[in-house]
Amino acid sequence: MDAPMIDVRHVSRHYLRGGDDVHALDDVSLSIPAGKFVALMGPSGSGKSTLLNLISGIDRPSSGEVIVSGQALPDLSEDELARWRARHVGLIFQFFNLIPVLSALENVALPLLLTDLGKAERRERAETALRVVGLEDRLDHFPATMSGGEQQRVAIARAIVTDPDLIVADEPTGDLDAKNAEAILDLLRTLKKGFGKTVVMVTHDPRALRFVDDAHHLDKGLLLDDDAAERASAALHASMGPGPRTTEVEP
Amino acid sequence: MSYTRLVVANLLRNKLRTAFTAGAITLAVVLVCLLLTMPAALDRLLESAASDVRISVHHKAGLVYSMPESFARKVRAVDGVEAAAGMVWYGGAFEESGKVTFPNFAVEAEHIEAVYPDYPIKPEELADFVKYRDGALVGRQVMDKYDWKVGERVSLTSTIWPANLDFRIVGVVEDPQAPLFWFNRKYLDQALESQFGQGLGIMGTIWVRASDPSMVGSIMQTIDDMSRNSEAETASETEKSYFANFFGSLQGFIRIILLVTGLVTLCIIFIAANTASMNVRERSGEIAVLKAIGFARRSIFGALFGEVVLISSLAGLLGLLLSIGLTTSLRNFAGNDGLGPMSGFILTGPVVVQGLFLSLFIGMLAGVVPSIGAARKPVAVALREIF
Ligand SMILES: Nc1ncnc2c1ncn2[C@@H]1O[C@H](COP(=O)(O)OP(=O)(O)O)[C@@H](O)[C@H]1O
Ligand SMILES: [Mg+2]
Repeated sequence: MDAPMIDVRHVSRHYLRGGDDVHALDDVSLSIPAGKFVALMGPSGSGKSTLLNLISGIDRPSSGEVIVSGQALPDLSEDELARWRARHVGLIFQFFNLIPVLSALENVALPLLLTDLGKAERRERAETALRVVGLEDRLDHFPATMSGGEQQRVAIARAIVTDPDLIVADEPTGDLDAKNAEAILDLLRTLKKGFGKTVVMVTHDPRALRFVDDAHHLDKGLLLDDDAAERASAALHASMGPGPRTTEVEP
Repeated sequence: MSYTRLVVANLLRNKLRTAFTAGAITLAVVLVCLLLTMPAALDRLLESAASDVRISVHHKAGLVYSMPESFARKVRAVDGVEAAAGMVWYGGAFEESGKVTFPNFAVEAEHIEAVYPDYPIKPEELADFVKYRDGALVGRQVMDKYDWKVGERVSLTSTIWPANLDFRIVGVVEDPQAPLFWFNRKYLDQALESQFGQGLGIMGTIWVRASDPSMVGSIMQTIDDMSRNSEAETASETEKSYFANFFGSLQGFIRIILLVTGLVTLCIIFIAANTASMNVRERSGEIAVLKAIGFARRSIFGALFGEVVLISSLAGLLGLLLSIGLTTSLRNFAGNDGLGPMSGFILTGPVVVQGLFLSLFIGMLAGVVPSIGAARKPVAVALREIF
């Protein structure tokens, strides 16, 4: 078996906050194979975003190793990291943060400014990316004229336009209604299935479990083992489930 | 999609705010350009008040000392001298005894026309002035003050000479600025001669007209050299410098202008910087995402900084065009003769260049701090601030 796409080894991330040492992540080890769609789950403040930022080279660990497609990220300088992200990672956020004065096509083409592609090719690629997310007829629309689901799809097109190996998404459905959320989850799965991308997604949403290959659970900066994760997942389902469960027995 | 498109799109994002900021910069450039033309305008004012070919020659020790009468003849012989007219202070008082209420001089009447061809005097009145021994040329100001008419007779009591004279007003110098009363030197000379057997014999000030402005320097040099080591050494100065004293310290005035210019600039820099930081704050979400996507600090800085510099240079350009239009119409308004203080508002090349640099300078100073701040913020911090 090849080296995993993502290899996180004994990673900690501490913040100093008003004299306190906040352990956002504590000795987390995790590996994610290429071509998988993986969810990071856990309550608010459990360190999901922190872990995702380390994987995508947005932040650096206080200690430990983060290796993505064979590149040890902490070794890179700030500008090298930026260049690495531009080439290897597609980022999707909860809030779409499209540039309101640029059209959908222009928003999607933005990351291509960092490549040495010519103008015509940049346009062609942006069109392709918008076609993948099903917005080929909205190229010249501005963000304000689009629904939240459409804006998120533009953001996804922006994330895939450079054809990165890794796509990371931080609560991409957090700001969407159920129908749009499902569409986005489906789209992310298509990116994995149809285009062979590795997708790592932070989410609260138990519905996501139907779409992903694997889910990792975090709590208070710790990665839960499989048993604990099972229970956490069950609890999550229970809280969202269709009716009262009569057989549930608490240990 | 290009960087330029991004910068321009950002500029048009909040059109009203952009317009206000641009307007402030435009006005500042107009104001500064007009202020910078002021020293030149003052200079023009002096030049229009004073002829650049007229020289005053007087005793080195001051205006109350005199030179020998014959010196006027010697001056007329100097190379480049077109004409010269000697004057003697009469110190005549009208009615109120002992009080001189306007300057009055005994002048070489036959030389007045040649020395003052630019003075508004009617030719026939000038001819009468030379013709009638007791004729007097009086400035408009004095005429109006005493409600005199041409042809009227007036008498002055001298506070200096033992000769009180009656004059016939033969003409008016139509210059509202100059309080003046000129009469024929020969009249005073003969009055003294007949009473005491001895004429005037002296000259107070000799006004010289050079044939060409380029001769002025050498004429002054020659005249002062001629009188050196004589009993009456002279000091020559141009009419312009003679008048410049009335305007006091021009330097101080220019310094105030420059100070105001500096303060205006500073004020506009603060306004533009405020707009720039407001823009950066408003777009913190997008900026964070751009960074996360992989835009390096340099690109983020470039896009924000470029935006501020672009708007300020465009506004500066507009300000320059407005200034040029304004100064041109001021000059047209001042009339075709090109005289008067308004005609001095000429936007010279250096002022235009300074205006352009000023707007660039405003943009760079206003843009640098917010842009660096946005560019330097670590991407993880920027992202956390928005989510
Ligand atoms: N820059 C920071 N400074 C201080 N504390 C931080 C910072 N970033 C994250 N934290 C803390 O780390 C913990 C984990 O945060 P985060 O990874 O955002 O959680 P999640 O995404 O699971 O909600 C939280 O307690 C948060 O307050
Ligand atoms: Mg989070």
